[in-house]
Parts: sequence; structure tokens; C-alpha cells
Amino acid sequence: MIDTVAFGSAVAMLAGSLDAWLWVVPGLLIGLVFGALPGISVSMAMALVLPATLYMEFLPAIIFLTSVYTGAGFGGSIPAVLINIPGTSSAVATTFDGYPMARAGKHNEALGAALFASCIGVLISYMILLVLVQPLAEVVLRIGPYEMAAIGIWGMVLLGSIGGSSVSKGMFAAGLGILFGTVGMNTAGYMRGDMGIPWLLDGIPTIPAMVGLLAASQLFALVNAKFIVEAEGDRGISLRRILAGGAMVLKNPVTLLRGTAIGVFVGAVPGIGSSIANLLSYGETRRTSADAETFGTGNVKGVIAAESANSSSEGGSMATMLALGIPGGGATAILLAAFAMHNVIGGPRFMEQSRDVVYAIILSNFAQAAVLVVVGTIFVYGASTIVRLPLRYLIPSVLVVSTMGAFAMEGSIAGPITLYVFAVLGWLLSRYGFPVAAVVVGLLLGRLIETEMLRAWQLAGGDLWRVLDYPWALGILGLMVLSLALSLRRDLAKRRALRAAASPG
Amino acid sequence: MTQGEARRQVAWAELGFVTAIAAGVLAFVVEARGVSRDPQNLLLLQPTAWLVLGLWAVLAAGCVTRRVDPAAPRESRADLARVIGMVAAFGLFILGLEEVGYDVAILVFVLVGLIIGGERHPAALILFPPIFTLAVIHGFRLLIPYPFPTSVL
Repeated sequence: MIDTVAFGSAVAMLAGSLDAWLWVVPGLLIGLVFGALPGISVSMAMALVLPATLYMEFLPAIIFLTSVYTGAGFGGSIPAVLINIPGTSSAVATTFDGYPMARAGKHNEALGAALFASCIGVLISYMILLVLVQPLAEVVLRIGPYEMAAIGIWGMVLLGSIGGSSVSKGMFAAGLGILFGTVGMNTAGYMRGDMGIPWLLDGIPTIPAMVGLLAASQLFALVNAKFIVEAEGDRGISLRRILAGGAMVLKNPVTLLRGTAIGVFVGAVPGIGSSIANLLSYGETRRTSADAETFGTGNVKGVIAAESANSSSEGGSMATMLALGIPGGGATAILLAAFAMHNVIGGPRFMEQSRDVVYAIILSNFAQAAVLVVVGTIFVYGASTIVRLPLRYLIPSVLVVSTMGAFAMEGSIAGPITLYVFAVLGWLLSRYGFPVAAVVVGLLLGRLIETEMLRAWQLAGGDLWRVLDYPWALGILGLMVLSLALSLRRDLAKRRALRAAASPG
Repeated sequence: MTQGEARRQVAWAELGFVTAIAAGVLAFVVEARGVSRDPQNLLLLQPTAWLVLGLWAVLAAGCVTRRVDPAAPRESRADLARVIGMVAAFGLFILGLEEVGYDVAILVFVLVGLIIGGERHPAALILFPPIFTLAVIHGFRLLIPYPFPTSVL
């Protein structure tokens, strides 16, 4: 499956181009910084540096942009672990266990695990891309609205009971999130729940709502605490412990490989991307783990699952972009724009005629993943100092930066208002034991599920039984029912055990 | 602690909260049905809303029949007041962004946030808010393409 002549030519191309390598470290650093800033998305970071690539040669320009992409992919996990803010939407699931680990003084291990899972995830995803770029793209073309809707519902159900005190609270929160996702005009042209506010016609702004629900609500709850990590002795920053976190990744190869596989496949599907891959991987890992009840309280497997999936989805989305010329999301759309700026058009013809360039891009990403281990470790070491900052400084500062990030996302006061409304909602939900993360997942998946269900409905002419013609979609739905049944059984067993323990004698 | 020692107490605050959310969901589904009863409008929205309303009944029943452990630690009124103070200050900050300008709103909010958090050192209260405001305003002016109103900077 590898064209050896083109491969050799790619190696020669990279070996002879010092320019290309010079941009890797600056690209990774820019990506890390922008990815770590709440509200600045991967695509925004790439858009900001895009004009600078106009004066570069094609290969260095693409390597620079993919370095930013790789750096930002991991950068988002740093605030997710340290302050419960997913720097990007693809780091949502990282907060579920990363932040509880940080609160327990295991921030070094959590960040180390996130870094190594990201680097290995990128590495494996590009290895898969190197071998399977064409077949993967062809599989992606077969995914229709039935399968997409089923993937969305699957993710929803897997995560419905995250961290909550009961299944009913988890489902209530997830349902609420889905309803938030349906606000505004749907693809059939119906406008609901916009309350006459013009900016709600496009739906609730997702990133500000997500930051409000996850981060701002947590910060309110921390007003009476002194530091993120309560025990003074645990606030240290240790290279040894960061590397120990990396070693935890190697001790959980199944979690890592499952996350990577989900990331590559889901990332390759245009329109889904890394923001859902990390949720699916987390949900699957939690469902299949013997210690499922510890997820949400600081289980390192949750961090590994989320990070391996979100970083490997980069390889998946690159497959679709390179082989088909279809951008899977904002970041690959900017890469295609960079292609266009250099008079190159991505897609089947580019794959056929410039296979050596495609291989050079893939090979340079191997190097990026390796360099990210070093650059990322240094960056994490510096970023970890946040746990030593008193919360009385951190809380107002983070709230202000989040507000400005929300403004940056929307370009209007709509972002900050959304942030505030969802921050208060998130605080109240977590105060009464509802899993806030389930609302976030519902919000992220609600619109996708509705859009795909509508497409499926329109294709079937309203005949629900047409779903029987789609075995993949049925398989995913079957898995979903099984998962829900297992969650219910676990919840009931836990209640029975609690009752037995509480009853006298 | 046995069940006999735990006393039954209605969780009024939680009951009020879930009921308010359920009322919002009911209003949403009624409004959506008013827009159109076409399945293309209600395909996901209506079943989800019914599910949430059904779950409200389960949760409300749980709030009414809840047993509380009198020995369990409770949040003090002062702690709760500080949290509510921060929530209110943040709300006023958001409201003030366009009214008094982003720079003044940030400066005042950071100062109030520091005081709520317990900072009493005059030097910190005088120096940190303006330095932080300056950094945020100039940093975001470099980063984002949209203009935002300011009064001083």
C-alpha cells in the first residue's frame, strides 16, 4: 500500500529542506500557547498564522501549519487538567478525570499522561494514514446520515450518566443538553426557542456555553478554597512525576489503542472530528473498565482515552483532506486554504500526482509528534505553576480571560452573556449533584443528532423502518441499548449494596 | 448511621431548581409545537422534552422523600454568601462590559474578585487589577479581529 519510490522521494525532500524543519518548534509552541488559551480554537490559531505562510515554500508552510495543529491539539488539555477549562472543544472529556486528578495533587501525572497519550496518538494515527490513506477515505464516503445519527446517539448514551449521583440525574442533564442543542433554526428551517434574540437563531454559542458550564461553574464552587490543590506538599512541579504520567500511558495500551482507533475513524468523518472522538473514546473506555465507578473522580484511563482520541483524529481528518480534498473541520479547511495559496488543490488528483509530497507531510508529522514530547514537557512544566497561584487571584483572572475568549469566539456580547448564563446553570447543576459534563455532551451532540436524524428522515420519506436497510447504524444502536442496560444494572446494584450496608443487623 | 436516625426532609432548593428547569422545558416544547407540529420540527425535540419532564417526576419524588443525615457537614452561610457574591459580581461585570467599557469593567471586577477571595493587602489591591487589565486589553487587541469598547485604554 506504500508507494516505495514516492516514499524515498519524500525522505529525500525532507532531508534536503532545512527550512521545513526550522518551523516545527515555533509551530508547536504557537499551537501550545493558543490551544491553552480558553476560547482560542485550533482553527483560529491556524488562521492567525496562515498569512505568514504565504511567503514560504509549500512544504515548509504546510509543516508549519500542521505543527500548530499538533501543538494546539495537545495545548487544549493543559487548562482542561489544571482549571477544568477545555482549551478546545476536543478536550472536553479530558476535564472529566484530568481536573479531579489535579485537585487531588496529581496534576503532574495527569499532564504527563495527556502529553504522552497525545504524542503516541498522533504518531499511530499518521502511521495508519501512511498505510491506509486511500481505503480510509473510501470508507468515510460510505458513512451516511443514519450512521452519523447513530454515532451521535451512541456518544450521548455512553456519556449520559457521567459523574452524576444517579442514572436519572445523568439522563435529565443529557436531555437538557440535547434540548439546548436544538435551540434556533434547524436544517428544515423551523425556528424554536430563540426567544426573539437574533443571535440564538444560529443556536446557542457552543464554546462559551461549554466554558461556562465546565469552568466558570467550578470556579464559583472554589471561591472558599485557597488553592486548586489543597495540600501544600502536593503542589510541587516534578519532571519525574510528569514522566511517571507518561509511563501510565504505556501501562494502559488497550485504552490508548482503542482511543487512537476511535480518533482516526471518527476524525476522518467530515463534520464530526475530534470534538466527538474524545467523548466516544472516554465513554467506551468507561463502559468497558472494571473500575468504571472511579471515572470522573480522577482515573488516569479517562485522560488517556480522551487525549489519544482527540490527537489521533488529526490523522483521520488529514486522510479525508488529502485523499478527497474534503476538510473534516476548521483546521483542515485552513490547511486546504494554505494549499490554495500555493496553487495546490487537495484531493484525489493531488494524491495521485504528488504522492511524495503527501508522504513528506505525513513523515514530518512523525517528527512533530516526537518533538512535541520534549517541547510539550517543557511547556507543561511551566504551565503547572498555575497550581501554586492563590485562587483569589486565579478565579477573577480566569473568569476575565474566559469572558474575553467567549467574546473572541462570537465577536459580540453574545459570547459573554452565554458564558454567564451557563456558568450559573452549571454551578447550580453541580451543586445539586447533576453531571454538568452530560449537559455539555448533549449540547455538542444535540445539533448533530438532530441534523442527521432529519436527513435520514427526509431520505426515508418518513418511513422509520428504512433504518433496517443500514446494518452499521443498527449495530451502533444495538451497542447503545446494551450500554444503557449495563449502566442501569450497575446503578441498581450499587443502590442495593448501599441499602444492604445501611440496614441494621 | 442507620436509616432510622436519618430524618426525612424535603429538599426544597433542589426541588425548586429542577421544577424551574422542567417549566422551562415545558415552555420550550409548547413554543416549538406552536411553530409547527411537522415531525421535521419535533423529531428529536419533543421526545427528549417528554423524557426530561418524565425524569422531573422521578427527581421531584426523590427530593420529597429524601433522608438527610443530621451529622453531615453543611456549608456555612458566610461561605455561601461569598459564592453568591462572586456570581453576582460576575453578572454585573458581564452587564457592564458594553456600558462602561471592557477596561473599566475588568478593572473593577478583578478588584471586587480579589476582595471577595479574601485579599486584603493594599499593594496587591492597587497594583494587580490595573496591570492585569492592561495585559488583557492589549493582549486580546493583538489576538482578535473584532473591536471592543473601552473607556480609558
